[in-house]
Amino acid sequence: MKQFEIKQVLELPAVAGFDLSITNSALWMIISAATVTLFFAAASAKAAVVPGRLQSVGEMLYELIHNLTDSIIGHEGKKYFPFVFTLFAFILCMNMLGLIPYFFTSTSQLAVTATLGLLVISVVIGVGFARNGLGFFKLFVPSGVPIFVLPLVVVIEVISFLVRPVTLALRLFGNMVGGHVVLKVFGGFVVSLGALGVMGVAGALVTLTGIVAITALEFMVAFLQAFVFAVLACVYLNDVVNLHSH
Amino acid sequence: MAQTTPELDPGAAPVDTPYGTPSQDTYATTTEADQGSSGLPQFEFGYWPGQIFWLLIVFVILYVILSKLFLPRVGGVIEARAAKIEGDLADARTARDEAERQSSEAAAELAQARARAQKTAADAKAAAKAEAETRNAAEEAKLHERLAAAEASIQAGREQAMANVRNLAAETAEAIVEKLSGKAPTRAEVDSALSRNAA
Repeated sequence: MKQFEIKQVLELPAVAGFDLSITNSALWMIISAATVTLFFAAASAKAAVVPGRLQSVGEMLYELIHNLTDSIIGHEGKKYFPFVFTLFAFILCMNMLGLIPYFFTSTSQLAVTATLGLLVISVVIGVGFARNGLGFFKLFVPSGVPIFVLPLVVVIEVISFLVRPVTLALRLFGNMVGGHVVLKVFGGFVVSLGALGVMGVAGALVTLTGIVAITALEFMVAFLQAFVFAVLACVYLNDVVNLHSH
Repeated sequence: MAQTTPELDPGAAPVDTPYGTPSQDTYATTTEADQGSSGLPQFEFGYWPGQIFWLLIVFVILYVILSKLFLPRVGGVIEARAAKIEGDLADARTARDEAERQSSEAAAELAQARARAQKTAADAKAAAKAEAETRNAAEEAKLHERLAAAEASIQAGREQAMANVRNLAAETAEAIVEKLSGKAPTRAEVDSALSRNAA
């Protein structure tokens, strides 16, 4: 799949045997982060009481995630809002930019989604220990469970916790790759059907309409996956922030 | 699409030369032409350290920029707007209360003014009436006086005339008595005779 290929953009010397050169994937992360920065610089430049269009969009995104952290984590959510918002904005921007033809989708790289998933779970574990100390392990011991099934429940809880970063990574990765592959396959149909004569052209037109519809769907998926990632990050943070209420 | 699983093929993407594989640039459709390299490029682990490294760097930078600069700014605007709306509502509420207070005050003042005006009008009417009455009374008194004076003067005239008539009668009686008896009577005799006849 050519569109997912990693190419070197700027070669850098290896550090400790690891190749840290800037690849097209890293380049598009930087472009996405720069886009987010420029967008919010523009959106918050005027800081008008009556917002313009750009400022309205910026505030909508802000309030979307703010309501999320507020409603899921509660009053303490304020502290984790910047982290969740950065996750959301960064992933959203990478997903959206990837939908533009010839642009690279960094979130279609498992390395990227896995790192983001591990980042979330690392923050969750860090916050869990910082707030609860060793009480963090109570997360795996639900209250009100009969003692004889408790070991089994603990094992299940530990596994479900460990699976969280994997599901986070694979969900985003799968959605992004799947969408692009579907678009690519349909695009291939258009070309090969179009070469088959009149009937083929008719079929190609139908397929082309399908591509337009799927592209619209992919924009929704791009937003939705970023949102889902943010929601799950909130849910996992809530588990350790409000541990006592479990 | 992955015909050979890249994980099981350690020689396909060696870590030390990760940039060797993407060589074929001719692809038209989603056909086997793409699959020349070992399946999905995402599983070429030689590219992973660089991506992970740059992702963390970029994420941290973006986090710092957003959390220190833009999120407080956007949040500040939203809070300022909420505060402004709240303040404007409070202002409007106080303004409305003030207006209501003023309108009730004005109504009270109006009622007072109306009462005062009615009282003034009534007073003026009463004063005018009283003045007219006094003037009428004065006029009447003057008329009475003039009437009395006229009556008195008539009375005086009449008495004067009566006295003149008596004198005339006395003189006539003297003349008649002198002519008849040749002897003029005294005035006292004539007067007594006139008094007797007049009685």
